[in-house]
Amino acid sequence: MQEKNISANNFEQCQKCSLCETVCPVMANNPEYGGPKRSGPDGERYRLKNGIFYDDSLKYCLNCKRCEVACPSGVRIADLIQQARIDFNRRPPKLRDMMLASTDQMGPVASAFAPIVNFSLGLAPVKGLLDVTIGLDHRRTLPKYSSETFVRWFNKHAAASQDSFRKHVSYYHGCYANYNYPQLAKDFVAVMNAFGYGVHLIERERCCGVAKIANGMIEAATRDAKINMAAFRKSISAGRDIITVSTTCTMTLLEEYPELLKVDNGDVKAHINLVEQFLYKAIASGEVKPVWKEGWKARAAYHCPCHQERLGLGIFTTELLKMIPGMELIELESNCCGIAGTYGFKKENFKVSQMIGRPLFDEIAAVAPEFVACECETCKWQIEMSTGVAVKNPVSILADALDLQKTSELNSL
Amino acid sequence: MKFDVVIIGGGLAGMTAATELQSSGLRCAVVAEGLSLHNASRSGFKAAGGTLLQGDRVISGRIENGRLTGVFTEKLGDTVLEADNFILASGKYFSRGLVADMDKVYEPLFGLDVQYEPDRSKWFDRSFAADQPFLDFGVKTEGLLALKDGVPVANLYPVGEVLAGISSASGDATVQIRNSALAAVKAIRRN
Repeated sequence: MQEKNISANNFEQCQKCSLCETVCPVMANNPEYGGPKRSGPDGERYRLKNGIFYDDSLKYCLNCKRCEVACPSGVRIADLIQQARIDFNRRPPKLRDMMLASTDQMGPVASAFAPIVNFSLGLAPVKGLLDVTIGLDHRRTLPKYSSETFVRWFNKHAAASQDSFRKHVSYYHGCYANYNYPQLAKDFVAVMNAFGYGVHLIERERCCGVAKIANGMIEAATRDAKINMAAFRKSISAGRDIITVSTTCTMTLLEEYPELLKVDNGDVKAHINLVEQFLYKAIASGEVKPVWKEGWKARAAYHCPCHQERLGLGIFTTELLKMIPGMELIELESNCCGIAGTYGFKKENFKVSQMIGRPLFDEIAAVAPEFVACECETCKWQIEMSTGVAVKNPVSILADALDLQKTSELNSL
Repeated sequence: MKFDVVIIGGGLAGMTAATELQSSGLRCAVVAEGLSLHNASRSGFKAAGGTLLQGDRVISGRIENGRLTGVFTEKLGDTVLEADNFILASGKYFSRGLVADMDKVYEPLFGLDVQYEPDRSKWFDRSFAADQPFLDFGVKTEGLLALKDGVPVANLYPVGEVLAGISSASGDATVQIRNSALAAVKAIRRN
């Protein structure tokens, strides 16, 4: 007999109210997809009986987790869908999916040959070839690689001075900041140093694994998760909390590790801080003091990434940005940009991906901000490609708005 | 994190009060679990500059010297939402504004005084179509303020369905809910 009447994913609590369906960006644009209620709690009843009831259309879920935010009964709908894909999808991942998902295997290679890679990936014939051969959509602007990774830059230019600070944190930079956009990580180091924190790398940092989970590479993701957790524990026992910048990495480390990969993080969770949350709290409590640049002005629109909606920490970003004198911040409606990590790069998803993002693109065009503020790297690719408006990470906005020199002097006292 | 008013619940009552207060220049935050609020009211509130914590849930509060000084939410961890005034618009049973167990009906966040029928057999009418007494149960008030152990909490205004006597099953429920929200708005603006 069943001992408990509530399962881990809470699916028995589903009341069939269908609110999840009203917020699902895929359901509104792709008739092939049954929607979160059918794919999640409804389908689960059948799948528990027999795995043959697994429906291949679950692959259309982009795991934005908007259904979970909307659910009035606390059902972990997206987790149910991801779990079913892990348990029942027996198809091995395609070459393309493995390439897209293996960010920390592709990264070092692509970075080593960055000028050639960036040049070739911008060429129409190459994009056409990738489209035909492996199904990478040719209309997509592909992310650029940096020839010097953040880690290499850090070890050369910044590592030596970090021990001289009074307070210390460990920085989980993620693949994007390391291989594609080291400027973000450099901005992070500059801001943290100015506030008096020494920044240290995580020992043997691995990819958080979100793309591997989405593309069915569960064993590789679990292996990486365990390595990350061991490194986090070491850092925490040395008195250094973990600071993250990517919202999706953060959600994966906090939520997907225990829920989907069954890697326990109970003892670590409270020490993982999203940078905006960490800085907001430090400034609000008077622990650190910012000195802003005289006359700095900007009119920005804030787009809250789906995984930030799920984490529920967006308020720290908006409150932090509103602290900057001269910042006019317009909060955009809650909409998915459509890219969902590797999803929008796939040929079969490109059209739906752009349809999902349409309301957001239209709103950005109507607001016409100087730039969009957003914590997520893949939202940045999607919004910049689709609207032509620049997207800046809040950390980079702070690095620009702060008088780093004076902040540093004030906080080293 | 400090606001002028924190509104617990994003349904008709909560959003009515929040939008009115925000538009009159008070800095408001709404904690709205689930999607109990309509897009239009949500957009109006955000356009007026309000702060919306969507998908978050208040889990406890700090009552000191007869005043609610702050609330904690599921997602903000040790960050307290502080405010001069609080509006409780948490609804009835489905949204967990009220909880019914085998022998009592209670308000789960602050342990406020709830008006209900102690005899469980009288909670409901066997005729499905009849007025169901349990729908009238709710938080007790004195001069718009919530009561806890018989004493008013000086800055906590319950509005909408969480209140005793307001039932969504009654014909003029929408009017009653709106009016209760507007009465609280008026009281908060006055002080």
